[in-house]
Amino acid sequence: MKKRTVKMINAVLAATMGLTLMAAGCGSSSGSSSTGSTAADTTAPETSAATEGTTSTASGEESSGAPGDVMSSEEIIRKASGEGKISNWGIGNQYEILALLAKYDLPLEYLSEDFTMDAFDDDTSTLASAMTYNELGLVKNSYDGAYGYGDTVGYIDMNDEGVAMLEDNIFCTKEFAAQNPETVKAFLYASIKGWQYAVEHPDEAAQIVYEAGSSVSQDHQKYMASEVAKLVETDMNGNTVTDIGKIDDAAMKQTLDIAQQYVTLDDSSAQEAFAALTVDDICDSSLYDAAMASTDGKFNVEKNEVSIQLKWLPQAQFMGYYVADAKGYYDEVGLKVNIVSGGGDISETTAVNNGTVDFGVTWPTNMAVANAGGMNLVEVAQIFQRSGMTLVYKYDNFRK
Amino acid sequence: MAQTTQKIKRPKTLYQRFKENSKAQSAATIVMPVLLGVVIVILWQSQALHHLLRTNTFTLPLLTRIGEIFGENLDKIWDNSVATMTVAFVGLLIGSLLGYGVAIFAALCPRVGKGGLTVIGAFASIPVVALAPVMNNWTKDVSDVASVRSMVAKILVVMLIAAANMCLNAYRGLTELKPYAMDLMDTYAAKKRTVFVKLQLPNSVPYIFTALKVSVPSSIITAIVSEYFAEYIIGVGRQIRENIVLAQYPTAWAYIAAACLLGVAAYVVLMIAQSILLRRYH
Repeated sequence: MKKRTVKMINAVLAATMGLTLMAAGCGSSSGSSSTGSTAADTTAPETSAATEGTTSTASGEESSGAPGDVMSSEEIIRKASGEGKISNWGIGNQYEILALLAKYDLPLEYLSEDFTMDAFDDDTSTLASAMTYNELGLVKNSYDGAYGYGDTVGYIDMNDEGVAMLEDNIFCTKEFAAQNPETVKAFLYASIKGWQYAVEHPDEAAQIVYEAGSSVSQDHQKYMASEVAKLVETDMNGNTVTDIGKIDDAAMKQTLDIAQQYVTLDDSSAQEAFAALTVDDICDSSLYDAAMASTDGKFNVEKNEVSIQLKWLPQAQFMGYYVADAKGYYDEVGLKVNIVSGGGDISETTAVNNGTVDFGVTWPTNMAVANAGGMNLVEVAQIFQRSGMTLVYKYDNFRK
Repeated sequence: MAQTTQKIKRPKTLYQRFKENSKAQSAATIVMPVLLGVVIVILWQSQALHHLLRTNTFTLPLLTRIGEIFGENLDKIWDNSVATMTVAFVGLLIGSLLGYGVAIFAALCPRVGKGGLTVIGAFASIPVVALAPVMNNWTKDVSDVASVRSMVAKILVVMLIAAANMCLNAYRGLTELKPYAMDLMDTYAAKKRTVFVKLQLPNSVPYIFTALKVSVPSSIITAIVSEYFAEYIIGVGRQIRENIVLAQYPTAWAYIAAACLLGVAAYVVLMIAQSILLRRYH
């Protein structure tokens, strides 16, 4: 009898501990799936609320489309900062938020956000960084993997606050650009053609990305494509962009100015080099201009197989390249392009600098910082013409 | 002549003489590792290492450059190191005590406890990268202050890893006794409590150090990795990550050097403690 009880206790112990383990496992997996990594077979109708309000551009200081009893943007930022509940991912994404805090004379402190919106969901962070095309959609929409807040949340747009910085670009090393000018032109020609098609047909582009090995659901991919199109087609002042991919000097200047003010490097020589950088040091429009001037799209490419390192996982944020590949635009200019997806802590600047890949997509700030550290990179096109960075908040947390 | 009568003796090779000379041997145990270190430093600084590894001074900066940045940022490196060490040490302490407690329970009631030990062993194999975000979510209600709840989350991760390690080793120390030691105790009709205090407990002490030799470095590594996911931005690990993503390799290497120093320092302290505490065993 004794043996039996012992055996039973043993079994119970093992079972409970096993369950605890499983719970721990589930916890972590649900954490990551809330970024929408599950393929959504359920065709949840894309809520119209999702796109409402996100279209407002340059509407001044007031938070867009918020109900009357909600605080102003400034009050919201002050309150959240006072409570220490503003969050951002850090690792190079934080400078717009720092500039915003500095604008209102607030302490330059923020919580570290992980790659889910769980902290926003449970109010650990009441004013959380969200890209218009990604996290903002996950917060508002109600498809699988999203949080479904719909019309109960508002956001503060960095473009409206005047602290916007440019984001996704195309860059390579100065050496590569000098040695393979025709290849760079051909790549730009075809890529921009891909982007043009993608912003005109976001649904189709989303489908192409989804089939190319998407990391997120089909519904979220569609949402992302439509939002990314806005960033490509509209500039920081809300005007329509005529030349997709063209480097806007004024916007680039603003980006660099903010960066030079808020980027702090422990390496004093890199910090000095960074402070001395000008737009001309990091940008070269000549190859873009030459590529766009081509009437027939014929180039004598020096290298017919090239690769591009994305900043993140395969998603509609990079739809232009996937479309150019799927539609055969790269083939037309005599290039075979290998699209290398990023994710986690991949350092796209390092990958391009050491020759692992030929081209890369990054934010100009990251590229400029890398150059200050000794790299020799140059931006050849600017895909996103306005900042996709917002701070999302629940109306309920910021009533007057 | 005297010379002809001398016994023919084959001269010892230098290597043999070296091997038989205990003084030279003890000196060699110090000289050899130092020599290896010097060789690596020369290879590194002369960029021979870069050719060997096919890398450049960008991703693997020269030692002088790393040292320069280390010197420039002593204050910041110190603050971050203190944060990392606090997490590692507190986690290690609580975890080890907890692990030892479970080991005692398992040793006293072996049939119940043994099953639990297997499961605890499984705990040790959960990767920190999986554990850290889970702990972050579990500790959200601990405090309104981000730095506090973040530290608790990190300590919990270190604790779990350290506890599993200590538990398995201490259990062996409490149960794997010298042959006949238990029989001897039986002939004395010793009570279970006496056996435990006089025999099992002292027997487990060397095993505690075996566990700590693994736990000390692993708790520092665990603290560094869990900083990657922590809500509050501080620590050597977080600085390594930030700087690598921003392609600031010399700075990242300065923090890597700090992490190495922390590990070595902690290990030296442990070794000194061991040599003092275990003196009576040898």
